[in-house]
Amino acid sequence: MTSERRNLWLGIAVVVAVQIGVLGWMVWDRVHLLSSGREIVLEVVPVDPRSLFRGDYVILNYDISRVETPLGKKRLHRGSLIFTTLQKTKDGKWKLTAAGPERPESVGPDQVVLKGRVRFASRVARRGSDVATVNYGIESFFIPEGTGRELEKLVGQKKLAALIAVDESGNAALKGLIVDGERVYEEPLF
Amino acid sequence: MWSYRSKLDNDLPRWREAGWLTAEGEASIRKDVASHGRSLELAPALAIIGAVLIGFAAMSFIAANWDEMSRLARLALIFASLGTAYGIAGILFERGHPAFAHAAILAGVALFGAGIMLIAQIFHIDGHPPDAVLTWALGALGAGVVLGSNPALALAMLLMGLWSGWEMVESGVVHWPFLLGWGAVTAAFLWRWWVPGLHFAAVVLSIWIICLGYLLFDGHGHGVVVGVGLLIGAAGLALPSLGERWSAFSSPAVAYGMTIAFAGLFAVQFVEENVPLFGLILLAIAALTLVLAGIGFGLRTSSSAALWLGYGGFSLEVLALYFKTVGTLLGSSLFFLATGFIVIVLAAVAYRLHARMEAQP
Repeated sequence: MTSERRNLWLGIAVVVAVQIGVLGWMVWDRVHLLSSGREIVLEVVPVDPRSLFRGDYVILNYDISRVETPLGKKRLHRGSLIFTTLQKTKDGKWKLTAAGPERPESVGPDQVVLKGRVRFASRVARRGSDVATVNYGIESFFIPEGTGRELEKLVGQKKLAALIAVDESGNAALKGLIVDGERVYEEPLF
Repeated sequence: MWSYRSKLDNDLPRWREAGWLTAEGEASIRKDVASHGRSLELAPALAIIGAVLIGFAAMSFIAANWDEMSRLARLALIFASLGTAYGIAGILFERGHPAFAHAAILAGVALFGAGIMLIAQIFHIDGHPPDAVLTWALGALGAGVVLGSNPALALAMLLMGLWSGWEMVESGVVHWPFLLGWGAVTAAFLWRWWVPGLHFAAVVLSIWIICLGYLLFDGHGHGVVVGVGLLIGAAGLALPSLGERWSAFSSPAVAYGMTIAFAGLFAVQFVEENVPLFGLILLAIAALTLVLAGIGFGLRTSSSAALWLGYGGFSLEVLALYFKTVGTLLGSSLFFLATGFIVIVLAAVAYRLHARMEAQP
């Protein structure tokens, strides 16, 4: 093998290995989050039950999708990071306790921090706070083509909740859907 | 290349008849042009288009969220096709078909992007889409540098622009990290000394600079754009002093700089609201001076690109002024009279300057 030929195939091997490595890392990162992240359950706020399952993905809206933060040094703007602290209540629900642009230094055992990105923010002067719409990366749930109606029938008028896995840095992943306390759709790892 | 050849076809017989060139000389010139000519060929162009189509096929396959296959099978399929594309590129290089090999590399880079989308879809990753575009751009840059592939580098530049544009649309603020990504791809273009790529880099950077005007100072940063454009133009004029290698970039840099400055001036006049009439007139004179200087520069350096950009800018400016002033204080006939007058004054100034330059020893 001439050196030119060897360099060509070495280059190709490096490119293929790095690109497949990057894709593989994305998969591993996600699988790791889903399998080892802390599980929390968030109630889904119904937007319009009829349009919820149209198309090939579901848009999920949560109580924590809209947060209010006291005015701080850092002003929230579109695209900035926001950290939301949730507290587990006695009935097992997770409720919002605090939100702000800085990650809280310590959280209690019954608390979890979610990392989100601000979609819209506005300053409400009379209440002395910033109001923001936040995306946590758990708002859309892709479903196989054509299965939206089935899921819609299944949910009907029942209460829908989402099972979320959260890792230590606050990244969240959708793990499944819960209808009336029963897991109906659990995300397979592969 | 084609226009150069047809120009030679006209000129060579004339020069031979004038006695400046022997018949052998003409034959040698023709032979040299034929052997060095890098004319665009149909087959490689079709191969590149084919690669782009394969990329789109992969992406729409993923968009269909095909459920007949397990996730693992879909992942395996995308990994296998990625490896196959690069493998085919290697075989084509070995068999002496570099153009087709580059098309296969482009297909490989496209499949890498499709893989990112597939993984985002099957694992419901709904984070920050520009990050995915950046990952794709870096993959294209890596493949372009390691395998010496200009088409992959061009895709990397396109994706850097898309990444930054998306970030700016999402956040509404200037996305400075773009300069790092742009610089990295441009460095690769310079390293490979690929002139069309450098032009592409200049176009992407120009668009980014023009966007600054809409983002800086709450959307009133067009003055900065004018300043940056003029600086680039001035730098272009100074380039030949750096050496012969750089003098070829002088005229394009002037043309890009003037285009950026014009876009900024245009926005100050017609995008900004509540521009007073007197200010508008001064700005319009500045803009017309700029486009006429561009036309003059194009004529002096025989740069048809600068010439056409100048004509285009002139037409845009005059049309926009017309629509802005119709029905206002300035009647449209008065407007054309004024514009005609300004152009004639500028022509007189240009004539005087030219005469003075001629008079100098």
